[in-house]
Order: sequence, then structure tokens, then C-alpha cells
Amino acid sequence: MKPVLKIVGLLFILSAIVSCKPEQKPIPYGAANCAHCNMTVADNRYGAELVNDKGKAFFFDSSECLMAYVNEQTELAEKASFILVSDFTKPGELIDARKAHYLQSKNLPSPMGLYLTAVADKTAATKMHQEHGGRLLTWNEAVTAVKNNEKPE
Amino acid sequence: MKNLSKNIFLIVSTSVLLLWANVAFGSTLKVCKTCTYTSVKQAVKKAKPGDTVLIQKGVYKEHGIVIDKPITILGQNKPVIDGNYKGQVFTVVADNVTIEGLTIKNIATSYRQDDAAIRVVERNNIRILNNTILNTYFGIYLQNSENCVIKGNIVSGKDVTGLNESALGNAIHLWYCNNAVISNNKVNGHRDGIYLEFVKDSEVKNNLSQNNLRYGLHFMFSDGNVYTHNTFRKNGAGVAVMYTRNIRMEHNTFEGNWGAAAYGLLLKEITNSVIYHNTFRRNTTGIYMESSSRLDIQRNEFDKNGWAIRLLSSCIEDTFKLNNFTGNSFDVSTNGTPTMNLFENNYWDKYSGYDLNKDRVGDVSYRPVSLYSMLVEKVPPSVMFMRSFMVDLMDNIEKVMPSFIPESLLDEQPMMKKINYDNNRKLTQVVR
Repeated sequence: MKPVLKIVGLLFILSAIVSCKPEQKPIPYGAANCAHCNMTVADNRYGAELVNDKGKAFFFDSSECLMAYVNEQTELAEKASFILVSDFTKPGELIDARKAHYLQSKNLPSPMGLYLTAVADKTAATKMHQEHGGRLLTWNEAVTAVKNNEKPE
Repeated sequence: MKNLSKNIFLIVSTSVLLLWANVAFGSTLKVCKTCTYTSVKQAVKKAKPGDTVLIQKGVYKEHGIVIDKPITILGQNKPVIDGNYKGQVFTVVADNVTIEGLTIKNIATSYRQDDAAIRVVERNNIRILNNTILNTYFGIYLQNSENCVIKGNIVSGKDVTGLNESALGNAIHLWYCNNAVISNNKVNGHRDGIYLEFVKDSEVKNNLSQNNLRYGLHFMFSDGNVYTHNTFRKNGAGVAVMYTRNIRMEHNTFEGNWGAAAYGLLLKEITNSVIYHNTFRRNTTGIYMESSSRLDIQRNEFDKNGWAIRLLSSCIEDTFKLNNFTGNSFDVSTNGTPTMNLFENNYWDKYSGYDLNKDRVGDVSYRPVSLYSMLVEKVPPSVMFMRSFMVDLMDNIEKVMPSFIPESLLDEQPMMKKINYDNNRKLTQVVR
């Protein structure tokens, strides 16, 4: 009887630990302010999120705000559990920012004026690139572009 | 005789000219169930430059009407154009177009393209007057257009209370436009009431913007604009001005912008602007200022706000003069020790000083930042101790022996009586 109790207890503790693991949170559109620019996060095609190692979530109204924040707080970004952006083709769905494809095109104005649009799927990104023009960037290239405040021609 | 023939010549020539002018001003193409034209699209296609398309009362289920010549679209008795959720209703791709007196409704929400009831693409001198736009994604959308007038329109969207949906466009959206006039419009139920991005030298006046999810009026990278006599009520935030210079904000009312992320006026990285004669009533935060410098804030009314002003320490060289602070939970709060801002001759209802020489200016200075407001700024949950005995005690001790609150943030000449803005010429002269 006793080992069973022990196992149950152990399982209970384990589940408690697991549930404390940092996890991504849905962005409360309309109720959260961007951690970088303080604007109300409203557009679910562009919203972004950073969850730090302790599970606290920071919300952003656009991927360029997230990148500017990452540029400012490099240490926090390195330790972050999740860095997420919205998939433009599926509004409201969050994807790994570092694996996303970024289209910078004059035809797609994002909230903070740098024309960055994140897409999860490579083929969808290429299709949008053909449709709207501009250039395709990786996460690192996009972060550098934000750092240098590069706008599309 | 010679004179008479001269006169006759004049009369004849003017009448010929008048006739010619009549042709130049164009004819009128009527649209109704029993007219030559039964659809707006048909009439627009047939119209010549300078013509008027007169739409009579009725419901027209149409979309994708492209206006590619300078004509006037005029609605008689508010005809309804129902987009039927199929795309944009009017797309203007010609100069000198007027759209007046229509009811336009039912535009689908589109994520790939920002569909609008009326969209203007790279054109000049467009006039959009007295229209009613209902149930739309974007209402009026102008891009790269100059000298446009948007006047007297009603753009009404959804009820956004309790709605966390972001599938909302902006009621009036201007992008890279100069010299626009936006006046006497009523907008509600959108993401932003009026949104100006990269807009210069424009005027926003006498508008009512309420119940929008994000902002009543929103400036991004838009220098040299003026907004006066507007009312912003119950928006996510009344007005947001960001990354902008030279804005004049006068005689506006910001009220009931209440909620966790709500402000009356949100200022982020703006410089060289003036804020005169505005009323901030019942907002969570009257003015929130971050990285904003050289602002002149005078003669404003701050009444019953949570925070009247949240002045972050990244703000410098701002002037606060002759403002009334009444019934606010916190008058001024800050997150550091700002030094470069000037407070002078404001009226603070919490001021308990005296005036022995009777010059209507208090003899001891007033410190608008309380220790408790600093505490709340650093530890937000501590707001639940509001109005508790300990907080009063703490604030009173701090008043006697200031040690935590910024030494230099004080009003050395607080007014003894509330400033009456209608009748204060004499007083302001004394004060000056």
C-alpha cells in the first residue's frame, strides 16, 4: 500500500512541477499594451509574444516591436522560453518567431511602420512574396533590419 | 448706337459662354428603379468628366464601383448601397471626385486586403461628405492622397464592449496623406476611430469618436497636425500620439477611457507640441507621457481621473501651467527622479497651504507626487491599499519629511482657487 501512496505522491509533485513550466499564453487583444511601444495590442495578424524563463509573458503589437525589444534586452531574449509571432495567413495563431519567414513589403503595412509580416509556411511566404514584392528575411536578418531601422524602398 | 452694339455683343458672348460653361459643368445622370440607369456602376461607366451621378432613394446591391474620372456621386434621400459582403464599394482612382449623401453598408472583413467602403488611391481633391457607413471593415481609407476633405460622415461599426476580437478595421484611415481636413464626423465601433499614419499638415476638428477598441484618434509618424474641439469617449485610449512632432491639441474632451490598458491621452516620443484647454474627465490615466519633450501643457482640466498625469522620467523640458487638478486619485506619478520639467501656477485640490499676502498664489510649494503613487508605480498590486490608514499616514509623514519623492518635482506657486478658464484674463496677467 505504501509504495502506491508514494508513487501517487510523487506523481502529484511531478504534475505540479510540470504545470509550473513556462508556457505560451494567448494574447489578450484589446486589453494588453505592447511592452515596447505601449500601444494597445489589437491586430491579431501582427501580435507577438515573449515568455521569459519564469513564465511571465510580454505582449507586442507587431513583430518589429518584439525585435526592437529583443535588441534592447538581449539577455532576456537569450533566456526566453518562447519567442512567438502571429502567422499572417492564420490570424491569431502563434508560431515560433525564430523559425518564421518574414516578408518586408511596401504593400503590407504592419502596425509600427516597418512593413514586416511573419508567415510560418515557406511556400505561403514565397507566394506572398511573388504577390506583394519586397524581400524575404529570416529571424536574424529581420532583427538586424529592425536594429538599423531599414524600411523597404 | 455704338454703345448698344457693344452691349449686345457682350450679352451674346456671355450667354454663349454660359451655355458652354453649362456643358463643361456636365449633365446629371439619374439612377433609380425606373430611370435610364438602374445601377450606380452603369451610370458611373457612362458618365463623362464633370458629370453628376444622382442616386435616388432605394437599395442598390453593388460593389466594386471604380470611379476613374472627375465626377460627383450625389445621393438623394439617403439611398442605400449594399456591398453584400463581396468587396469594396467605391474605389476612387481619379482626381476631383465628390461622394456625398449615401448610405454604404456591409463590407466583409478581409485579412489579406484592407477592404473599405470608400477607398481613395493616390489622388487629389477628393471630397467625402455626409455619408453614413455601416457595418464595414475599414470605413474611409485614403492612401497617398492630398487635399482631401472628409466631413460630416457617420462611420458606425460593431459594439466592441466585451469584444476581444481584433477583426476590426479603422473607421477613417489615412496613410501618407497631406493637407487633409477631417471634420464633424461621428465614428464608433472600430479598431481606431481616426488613424493617421505618415500624415502631415492636416486638421482634425469637431469629431466625436467613441467606443472604439483601441484609440479614438491615433497619430503615427505624423508631424505638423492640429486637432481641436473633438470628443473622445470610452475608447481603449482617447488619443495616442506617437513618434511625432509639432502637434497642436486644443479644446478637446477626453472622457470615460477606463480600463487596465486605457489612457485619455497617450504620448510616446513626441516633441515640440502644445496641449491647451482640454478636459480630461474620468480616465484611468489622463495623460501618459513617455520619452516626450518640450511640450507645453496649459489650461487643462483634470477631473476625477485615476492618475491625472503619469510622467515617466524619460520626459524632459515639459511645462505644466495653469491647469486644474480636481478629484484625481493621484495628481502626478512618476517612476524615477525627473528634474527637467516645470510645474507652475496650477490649481491642486489636495493643496493645503495658505496665502498670507493674498496674491491668490499659495505661499508654500505643493508636491504633486505622493509617496504612495511612487509605490504603486513600482509595485502595481499595492493599489489595493488605496485609502487605507497606513497609506494616509505614510503620505503625511512624507509630506513633512520628503525623502523618497523627487525633490525637484514641485509646484512652487500653486493657485489657491480653481482657475476659471472663461473669465481669467485678468488673473493670468497677474500671474505672468
